Amino acid sequence: MVGAAEEAQLNRLESQVDNGGGGVWEYLCLVRKLKARRSEKVLKHGLSILNDPKSRSRLGGDEWTLYEQVAIAAMDCQWLDVAKDCIATLSKKFTGSLRVGRLEAMLLEAKGAWADAEKAYARLLEDNPLDQAMHKRKVAMAKAQGNISAAVDFLNKYLEIFMADHDAWRELAEIYVSLQMYKQAAFCYEELILSQPTVPLYHLAYAEVLYTMGGLENLQAAKKYYASTINLTGGKNTRALYGVCLVRYPGYFTHGFSPS
Amino acid sequence: MAEDLVLDTAIRDWVLVPLSVVMVLIGVLRYFVAKLMRSFQPPDRKVLKEGQVVLRARNLKAGANFIPAKSFRARRFYFTNEENGLLHVPKDQAQNAQAQMFSDPNMAMDMMKKNLSMIIPQTLTFAWVNFFFSGFVAAKIPFPLTQRFRSMLQNGIDLSTVDVSYVSSRSWYFLNLFGLRGLFSLILGEENAQDDTQRMMQMGGFGFDPTKCLNILLAMELYHFEVVVAVVWYIADQLVGANALLVDLLHALVEGKMGDLVDAFPSTKLAGLVRLVTHDEEEVDVAARAAELHHSLSAEKDSVDIVQHEWVLPKMEQRAEETLRKLVK
Repeated sequence: MVGAAEEAQLNRLESQVDNGGGGVWEYLCLVRKLKARRSEKVLKHGLSILNDPKSRSRLGGDEWTLYEQVAIAAMDCQWLDVAKDCIATLSKKFTGSLRVGRLEAMLLEAKGAWADAEKAYARLLEDNPLDQAMHKRKVAMAKAQGNISAAVDFLNKYLEIFMADHDAWRELAEIYVSLQMYKQAAFCYEELILSQPTVPLYHLAYAEVLYTMGGLENLQAAKKYYASTINLTGGKNTRALYGVCLVRYPGYFTHGFSPS
Repeated sequence: MAEDLVLDTAIRDWVLVPLSVVMVLIGVLRYFVAKLMRSFQPPDRKVLKEGQVVLRARNLKAGANFIPAKSFRARRFYFTNEENGLLHVPKDQAQNAQAQMFSDPNMAMDMMKKNLSMIIPQTLTFAWVNFFFSGFVAAKIPFPLTQRFRSMLQNGIDLSTVDVSYVSSRSWYFLNLFGLRGLFSLILGEENAQDDTQRMMQMGGFGFDPTKCLNILLAMELYHFEVVVAVVWYIADQLVGANALLVDLLHALVEGKMGDLVDAFPSTKLAGLVRLVTHDEEEVDVAARAAELHHSLSAEKDSVDIVQHEWVLPKMEQRAEETLRKLVK
């Protein structure tokens, strides 16, 4: 998750780069570090570096990371021939590499050739059964094909092994909410709160799930979690404030007037 | 003793400086050799899963007060229940992992390979220092010391009346051994500051207390013993083509030694020592890690068992009230 300060810095760099100032490489590095999804900008500026042989040679060893970043951005913007070129360059340099294999399978995914992509991932997973990113790609593919239950299955199997991966728990929670399986979603949000108790986002989401589930106990718990969100954000989160009001609304009829 | 010995500056030029330079160079060389010799070990699924389980259990312990009591209890049961709890390790499995570690010749070979990168330069440098630089006073320590340090610091000097602050070059060697870590972190980059003491003392959460000198001495004894055994084993097995009997004898020796140490140390520290012996941060042997993890699993289980749940959310409510009141004002 991107914090506010980092986002401000990212935006500043972005505007600087867009208006012709320098700092393209820093912008790209920051995007890569924060895993932000700014594919068009990355593509535009990344290509400008890669197509200019002078600045490309100035990068030295980092040039290959840039190729990877641009390839993924190109796939995101559906510029598939650009992506194919980048991947071809990478595979020429690093033949038989797992990372490049993953990029090739992602290209197949982007083209929409689901069966081929699945075969490619299966082959890669045979050689490296414990690669985290590969498992996550499988989940993403299942989700993109609309096969949500398969995505849930894959994600559960992934979490059986890598149970400390909080991004995966978050993804699973959101899928469960979209499927209206609120009890399971609550479980996932509890995992998230356990691993990062000071992030207000998880408290808020947990409160909302509890509120949606309904029932007296859940509503009281929801009130507490909305309150803790208010506490953690210093009262600035409007949704939590609304949440507290809404949760107390039925409370007026069951418990009578309560202070504050 | 109030006399002041005047030390020849030539000592500084030809003993202290070359010794430091040599140790730095050997450290750099060792780093590159280790990098070359590092074989990629595919991650073991079981070990990986257990590591993640431990992490999740720790998160549970840390954040226990933030989730409702019912869900906490459900999770605790999931981790610690007797039949299929994640952290529950049946008694016999825990013993086997350690015994397995020492009866497998392949693992001894691996151990030896890893220990090689540390033992050989250390031994050689120490022998070199002793041979060339013994028998004279090399330096003066700027602070006074008690007489007990005489045997440690003045090893080559056979005069018992010289002030203890005047030390031999052996102590300069040890000073460098423990002190060049900072320099290595500058030269080789932050993560590669692998000096011997740091590797010896990295225990990954076992609470191994490096200030207990006795432990370290015993541990070093074990370490050297293991290395000797591994070297003899290697020679016997590979070079001489000795029969299984010799290997069995060595097995017995090692297990006997381990047996002594099992009595001397509580189980948690023993696992840490096992890690000390294998001696390499990245490529700890599977069985050793399994032994460790079994210990850490039971340690985690105990700590999760004793967590008292106290739901902190009601307090949050009150604090939120105050925050809001302040905002409204």
